[in-house]
Amino acid sequence: MIDNEKKLQIKTASNAALASILNLTLLPVLGFIVLLVIYNKTKPDKIDRYHVVLGIKINLIAAAALFFVSALMIFLGGFDSAWTWVYVISYFTIVHTMFIVLAVWALVRSWSGDKLRDQKKK
Amino acid sequence: MKYESQGIAKMYFIAAIGLFVGQILFGVTLALQYVIGDFMFPAIPFNVARMVHTNLLIVWLLFGFMGAAYYLIPEESERELYAPWLAKIMFWIFLAAGALTILGYLLVPYATLAEMTMNSLLPTMGREFLEQPTITKIGIVIVVLAFLFNIGMTVLTGKKTVISLVLLTGLVGLAVFFLFSFYVPDNLILDKYFWWFVVHLWVEGVWELIMASLLAYVLIKVTGVDREVIEKWLYIIIAMALISGLIGTGHHFFWIGTPDYWQWLGSIFSALEPIPFFMMTLFAFNVVNKRRRNHPNKAAVLWALGTAVMAFLGAGVWGFLHTLAPVNYYTHGTQITAAHGHMAFYGAYVMVVLTMISYAMPIMRGKVAANERAQVLEMWSFWLMTIAMVFITLFLTGAGVLQVYLQRYSENPLPFMVVQEKVEIFYWLREAAGLVFLVGLILYCYSFFAKGKDVGKIVELDNAVTG
Repeated sequence: MIDNEKKLQIKTASNAALASILNLTLLPVLGFIVLLVIYNKTKPDKIDRYHVVLGIKINLIAAAALFFVSALMIFLGGFDSAWTWVYVISYFTIVHTMFIVLAVWALVRSWSGDKLRDQKKK
Repeated sequence: MKYESQGIAKMYFIAAIGLFVGQILFGVTLALQYVIGDFMFPAIPFNVARMVHTNLLIVWLLFGFMGAAYYLIPEESERELYAPWLAKIMFWIFLAAGALTILGYLLVPYATLAEMTMNSLLPTMGREFLEQPTITKIGIVIVVLAFLFNIGMTVLTGKKTVISLVLLTGLVGLAVFFLFSFYVPDNLILDKYFWWFVVHLWVEGVWELIMASLLAYVLIKVTGVDREVIEKWLYIIIAMALISGLIGTGHHFFWIGTPDYWQWLGSIFSALEPIPFFMMTLFAFNVVNKRRRNHPNKAAVLWALGTAVMAFLGAGVWGFLHTLAPVNYYTHGTQITAAHGHMAFYGAYVMVVLTMISYAMPIMRGKVAANERAQVLEMWSFWLMTIAMVFITLFLTGAGVLQVYLQRYSENPLPFMVVQEKVEIFYWLREAAGLVFLVGLILYCYSFFAKGKDVGKIVELDNAVTG
């Protein structure tokens, strides 16, 4: 039996994972603010805290990988160069998708109250 | 195998794989012709190679869908196929018609083929993807009607499940929309308009129903998750597919002479088109995560998950990339479209047929799953083909972005053929990736003959969630 506290944690974890996907797709920035709000409602060492932190990490790494690296490409390659846009568009599209798929996987795991990777059974 | 008549699927699957090999051989030939223009000329000119490449894709996918339906429907309906003999006859008719058509493309000039097949009586030839002679098209209609009769009667006289009804709806849609290939108005705008009724409403409409039902069937079998859970997902996915996909046809109407409102309708609805693919990814991961059994056919599980991810990537993401009218103004008809087309077809339809074959073929050969070595080879072929396709897509995207910039965006736009020379490096890289794909496909074919240690049985798990 899953007790009420555990159910509540799974619900919060799912909301955090959803906010993480939304930040990566439809609601950038807003989704991240929601993640931070959810973070304040969670306690350490619980599954909901795990998923909020995971969501924050995914989004921070995604932001760096997408915006910082793309900006670097534009800076080094030049805004008016066709080749810059070849690299930036191809890179941005595939890396962005990889982060979305990772966030989808996190959402699915949160629905089951699991961490991203399998935990060894005791 | 629960029902003897399910075995009919085997001949359809073998034909599908054979034609798939043909399609890829023409694909690598065609890719080389992009950089060595007279390669194989005049024996196989570029336009003929392209026609054979795309037509073989359509025909082998149809073989795959039919085989999948013949395997799936008896089990879902809990009865033998209504008329197994009809399925066998139609197989040979379809194969003969397909082979003759391809030979026609290769052996005589297209105009002569049109004359030989009396195209002038009911002109339908000459349109991209629908190049088949009218008589072949009539043959396809007869085969599909017989197929639908067979499948329909099996479903209607047997147990009705959501999966079989969704599949049947998709197959009926496939038949109905193909009829637009017979309507060729003189007005070029109307011609294009109705041409998309076949092309778009197949791949971004009713084929998605077929894909979702096949994926749902395999996932039920390999995960043991309750049918009710999977059916709920299926309802939402097909609803989203139809809501977005039907009016999403508008993204093809932006620049063909139709009214301006299609730019809004097409942009908005086709921007929603990634949603069903996104949900399919969510759905596939979710049911595998909550599986109630460990199925020894690991290759089939890999294909199923791969289908969901690659369909999302190819159809969803690469489709969205150039679907909004202001972007499409620059990108339509460039290599970006080719990039999207390659990954979308592979991810959504090639992979779902291979998923079905991976699951059903061992069972039709008397085993629950292929032996260990065969599965290892099959999984290698999965990764080789999938990674090769990712690279083909990336190289074509690179070529497309450069093409758009040089040919349509820069202050001094360059002519088409000048730009083609400038993007040559991408075509060479695409050819290399295509050859890797071919190696993966050869490995895939070989895996059916590989001998090795038998795998274990299906293990039912105690708890619903294991991770």
